[in-house]
Amino acid sequence: MRARDLAQEFPTVDLGDDALVAARTMAESGRPGLVVLDEKGRACTVLPGSQVLRLAVPVYVQSDPHLARVYDEKAADELFGKLSGRTVRDLLPDPHDHAELPVVDPDATSIEVAAVLARMRSPLAVVSDGDRVLGVITVSRLLRALLPAADPASEGEPGGPVSNGEPELR
Amino acid sequence: MTTYLVVAAFAAAYILIATERIHRVAAALWGAAAMVLLGVVDARTAFFSEETGVDWNVVFLLLGMMVIVGVLRQTGVFEYLAIWAAKRARGRPFAVMVMLVVITAVASALLDNVTTVLLVAPVTLLVCDRLALSPVPFLIAEAMASNIGGTATLVGDPPNIIIASRSGLTFNDFVLNLTPIVVVLVLVFVGLCRVMFRRTFVYDAEKAQAVMELDEREAIEDRGLLVKALVILGLVLVGFVSHSALHLEPSIVALLGAGAAVAVSRLEPKDYLGEVEWSTLVFFGGLFVMVGALVEVGVVDSVGHALTEAVGDRLLLATSVVLGGSAVLSGMVDNIPYVATLAPIIQDLVGKSTDPQHQALWWALGLGADLGGNSTAVGASANVVVLGIAARNNHRISFWQFTRYGLVVTAVTVALSWVYVWLRYFVLA
Repeated sequence: MRARDLAQEFPTVDLGDDALVAARTMAESGRPGLVVLDEKGRACTVLPGSQVLRLAVPVYVQSDPHLARVYDEKAADELFGKLSGRTVRDLLPDPHDHAELPVVDPDATSIEVAAVLARMRSPLAVVSDGDRVLGVITVSRLLRALLPAADPASEGEPGGPVSNGEPELR
Repeated sequence: MTTYLVVAAFAAAYILIATERIHRVAAALWGAAAMVLLGVVDARTAFFSEETGVDWNVVFLLLGMMVIVGVLRQTGVFEYLAIWAAKRARGRPFAVMVMLVVITAVASALLDNVTTVLLVAPVTLLVCDRLALSPVPFLIAEAMASNIGGTATLVGDPPNIIIASRSGLTFNDFVLNLTPIVVVLVLVFVGLCRVMFRRTFVYDAEKAQAVMELDEREAIEDRGLLVKALVILGLVLVGFVSHSALHLEPSIVALLGAGAAVAVSRLEPKDYLGEVEWSTLVFFGGLFVMVGALVEVGVVDSVGHALTEAVGDRLLLATSVVLGGSAVLSGMVDNIPYVATLAPIIQDLVGKSTDPQHQALWWALGLGADLGGNSTAVGASANVVVLGIAARNNHRISFWQFTRYGLVVTAVTVALSWVYVWLRYFVLA
């Protein structure tokens, strides 16, 4: 299977977009990351969901798990409210990372896509034909294509096939 | 000729440690290796000699306490205490700072200073975040409180452990001689905080309510482990207090405590060994070998004799110089190598005398070296750690921002210490 066959719709955000809006876009699209467009409208990097969490959750809470437990729900909401006023650019780990985009050609094989995702530790790869972005490939989409269909006898076991192409919530 | 080469190698290693041109552990190991190559040190003198070898009591006391802290940290007790304190202070900024300063000082008297600030700083950031206050004054105050509190006991600060091992002074000697003045210093320090950080203390009832809504009980994940760890810490403290009666070195008490904590906690080695600062322990090893070489070639003896003759019966002058000089030097160089080098010299000066004036030299060394660490941002490991935590959380504390408060605190605490030493050991003795 080729990258163009695996490509799915993708939401995009600009570097200057509000971080809270980006987080909402990610939540509503159900994607593990977003494609970030630069000032010229070209895809420049991928914003992984974990990076949004890293900015929302204070460093001191990340380093001391005991503190995460003392927050009530209201305080947790306030934490994420702090994303407002920050930009997508603030969410990106390093300005130099903008230059590195997990991109694959439409003709790339699934193993080529897997290699790019693994090397760049990205939750999704951008399928691009020159400057034109055709879509994105998520890790879960790729795994569904790569993993052999499960034996019907093992249906219901962890890792077994799912009815609607999305993983079951357990 | 060998003596000159040994002194040169020692000085070179010391300069490398002080200037941090290379990592202090590498510098100490290079220094130790140089002593071996010069033929002054061999396996017998390095590993088995009480006078010139690695002081295993210091190394294993530190190791034992680090393991105990490794277990204690898993319980969340520090997070519980700090949030409980902030809630008892009802979110009033100055009262919160007083509570956190006192908790830090008391914890530092029993545990390593760096560990204490590592445990208290994150929860301080959380409380300040809730109160919408800058955490910088709070973090600076905690670093200083840990250095002051650590002065109080034998196990509070590594220089005290070295002093105890060299002098034979017991845990109770430290409690009886240093704890009273440290209690006074903490009270005075709280007063200084009120003045130095007065612009910080802006009360907002709504923000205070946000602190009151934190649930400190949630910080405790495993109550059973907490109870066991606290019982063991209590027994270790009893062991320290009675170590001379039990004929057990503090290092043995700490190792027994560490073993018990590991046994009852059933934690994985990566959990309780994660707190062990192996680099510090190796640094101590290299340092002891370097200082041992100076003893071996007779340099320490010569300096000790020369100082004994120079001091004569002017012990108050000598004590004042040791106190003031240690405070100044400890602000500039790591107080661990400083005390490791000076301790054998003070040992020579004190000799076998047990009179209070001679013993005052040890207390002056401890007070000067420990309190002097507050004077600059790099004067003590706790300061460096707090600056690092602040930077990682986007609250930069500059060298001078810390130092301008540090110089005031050091001047006041060292001056009060001098008055205490003078009154207690020279006027009222």
